[in-house]
Amino acid sequence: MLSTFLSHQWKDFWRSRNKAGSIAAQILLGFFMLYFLVAAIGLGFGMSYLIQEFFPSKNVIVIFNGFILYYFLFDLGIRTQMQELPTLSIIPYLHLNISKKTIVNFLNIKSLFSFFNLLPLFIFIPFSIIKIGTTYGAITGIMYIVSILSLTVFNNYLVLYLKRKSINNIAYFGLIIGFVAVFAGLDYYNIVSVRAASNFIFMTVVKYPFLGLAFTLAAGIIFFINSIYLRTNLYTEELSTKDDKKVSTDYAFLNRYGKVGELAALELKLILRHKRSRGSIFMGFAFLAYGFIFYKAPMIAKDEFGKMLFAALFMTGITIISYGQFMFAWQSTHFDGLLVNKIDFKNFIKAKFLLFTISCTIITLLASFYGFMSYKLLLMHLAAYLYNIGFATVIVLYFATMNYKRLDLTKGASFNWQGVGATQWILGLPFILVPVFIYLPFGILNKPYWGLAAIAIFGLITLLMRNFWINLLVKRFEKQRYKIAEGFRE
Amino acid sequence: MLEIKQLKKSYGGRTVVDIKSLNIRAGETVGLVGNNGAGKTTMFRMLLDLIRPDSGEVLSKDQNVANNDHWKDYTASYLDEGFLIDYLTPEEYFIFIGGLHHLSVADVADYLKQYDEFFNGEILNRGKYIRDFSKGNQNKVGIAAALMQKPELLVLDEPFANLDPTTQIRLKTLIKSLKATHRLTTLISSHDLNHVTDVCDRIILLEKGLVIKDFHTDENTLKELEAYFAE
Repeated sequence: MLSTFLSHQWKDFWRSRNKAGSIAAQILLGFFMLYFLVAAIGLGFGMSYLIQEFFPSKNVIVIFNGFILYYFLFDLGIRTQMQELPTLSIIPYLHLNISKKTIVNFLNIKSLFSFFNLLPLFIFIPFSIIKIGTTYGAITGIMYIVSILSLTVFNNYLVLYLKRKSINNIAYFGLIIGFVAVFAGLDYYNIVSVRAASNFIFMTVVKYPFLGLAFTLAAGIIFFINSIYLRTNLYTEELSTKDDKKVSTDYAFLNRYGKVGELAALELKLILRHKRSRGSIFMGFAFLAYGFIFYKAPMIAKDEFGKMLFAALFMTGITIISYGQFMFAWQSTHFDGLLVNKIDFKNFIKAKFLLFTISCTIITLLASFYGFMSYKLLLMHLAAYLYNIGFATVIVLYFATMNYKRLDLTKGASFNWQGVGATQWILGLPFILVPVFIYLPFGILNKPYWGLAAIAIFGLITLLMRNFWINLLVKRFEKQRYKIAEGFRE
Repeated sequence: MLEIKQLKKSYGGRTVVDIKSLNIRAGETVGLVGNNGAGKTTMFRMLLDLIRPDSGEVLSKDQNVANNDHWKDYTASYLDEGFLIDYLTPEEYFIFIGGLHHLSVADVADYLKQYDEFFNGEILNRGKYIRDFSKGNQNKVGIAAALMQKPELLVLDEPFANLDPTTQIRLKTLIKSLKATHRLTTLISSHDLNHVTDVCDRIILLEKGLVIKDFHTDENTLKELEAYFAE
């Protein structure tokens, strides 16, 4: 029976409608996965070398041990956001003559087929064999592997169980992230050391290898709890996220914009009431950390804005890029309704500009904490901001008129390639190349501030031309709307 | 009211709609019947400027619907759930649609009172988004929103499908009374021959995009139609 289920799932994966159309996206996703896997394997096999490189004076095994629990703590945080509940797939089987036990087993096994369960194996197992196995003997090595496997399974079922139990996903997600952050913080300031605890635990495993089975026991218990919960609550409406009572809302601050405000409010509701769009927004906030990776003190000291421009553009413009790339398709389910109703297309386009401007302003203000690193970054952000609201919005909306792919909003945003077409790939080019080319000559002449000023002025001019852009986009939209509507009906 | 000239649309070499000439006068209630693939929905979509015809035109009050938006002032329609903004609560949706026709929130609430019976207490204040309603109740929201716009021309695609019997009868009464009081012109497509012959005073029979029959209803119409479809 289980093998039949799994073969159905296999077919579901390969035959699903939106897969066939976006083979390119699939291949790219495959590359990403492969990249992560190769990185993980590289990390796994190069672990001893890397640890020696970064912590030259420390004991390799102590560092490795300290890393394990840390990893699984973060794993927990990421899983809560990204791992999907395998629930909907069982609906066609519930009314058939199949025992609940089989269905629960199926759900449990299906959940194991997740990228998150593969990653830790590649990271930790090579080291467990190469280093632990050779230092402490085969039994200890095996028990390490058992412990890692158990922790993976433990996290897997814990997250699924918590997700199934949870009522409000977002509040609860915040709680878990907070939990992880608090531990990371405590560790960082040496108050309670996660690393020391982790090291202590695994050193004990080294001494008494069979204590590793404690992890297996924990994994077994959570698996058992999860199964019982599923058995007693095998109703799809109870297993998917529970609904609160929905209320009508009114965004007073948008009312002053009249008809345009009404349309913007409509779209704001769209963003807040769908999983996928909410996910995009979350990612936008996550991108605020981009600066920590790309902004380096020596670059700032030498005014090398060219190297940091990319990060600044992305951070301040993330809402425009992540939301704008699927523009119009967000409304694909009711696009016909928008067309037949008495909506002026001019207002329709204006509403999008309004939303972009508001969101871009908010995110730029949030990003201004980089000002603590250097005031120069604020200047760069300002230039990027002006460019984003002035010109990036136009690019995004222009490309939107060539996007005919219906978007399914009910699925999460992460690793979701449904509705991705050629436009999304091409879109990024002009977005990033235009400002880079504007900056380039000034960068070569070693006049970095003039370069920033040029971008800012370009942004400002395009912003002042907004009415011109609106007319252009409306004309384009008028021409393309039949094609767009037809694509969205698919 | 409506004039269709040489309207043609084909997909992949297969003609879906091919109407030489069709006139619909103000105040008529017209029923479109035909099996699946007869071109009813495609024709409606061209009427509402959602699909560009390969050739020909649709004139609404002598103006081509593809060239300007005036027809939207007096035309209301509900074809399928694609017309509903499904992440809104019904109240929000009614207010949004009302706003497009310059109705205030109070106007909308006032208007909806007369639909208490039609809604049967299942639509308003249920604390659900439209997407969480059953198909029948979604239909009710769409139809009520269309009627709220006080249209002169009403286009409904299979309005009786998914509705419960009580609501089907109420809808028929509603259309008949609006015809009498407001001279409403209505276009309805349906697979339910009983209902169409009951509510419509003119029936157009489509087959593979062509108008096969076009006649006024009388006591023999139902038998005639049944005979045609039984073949």
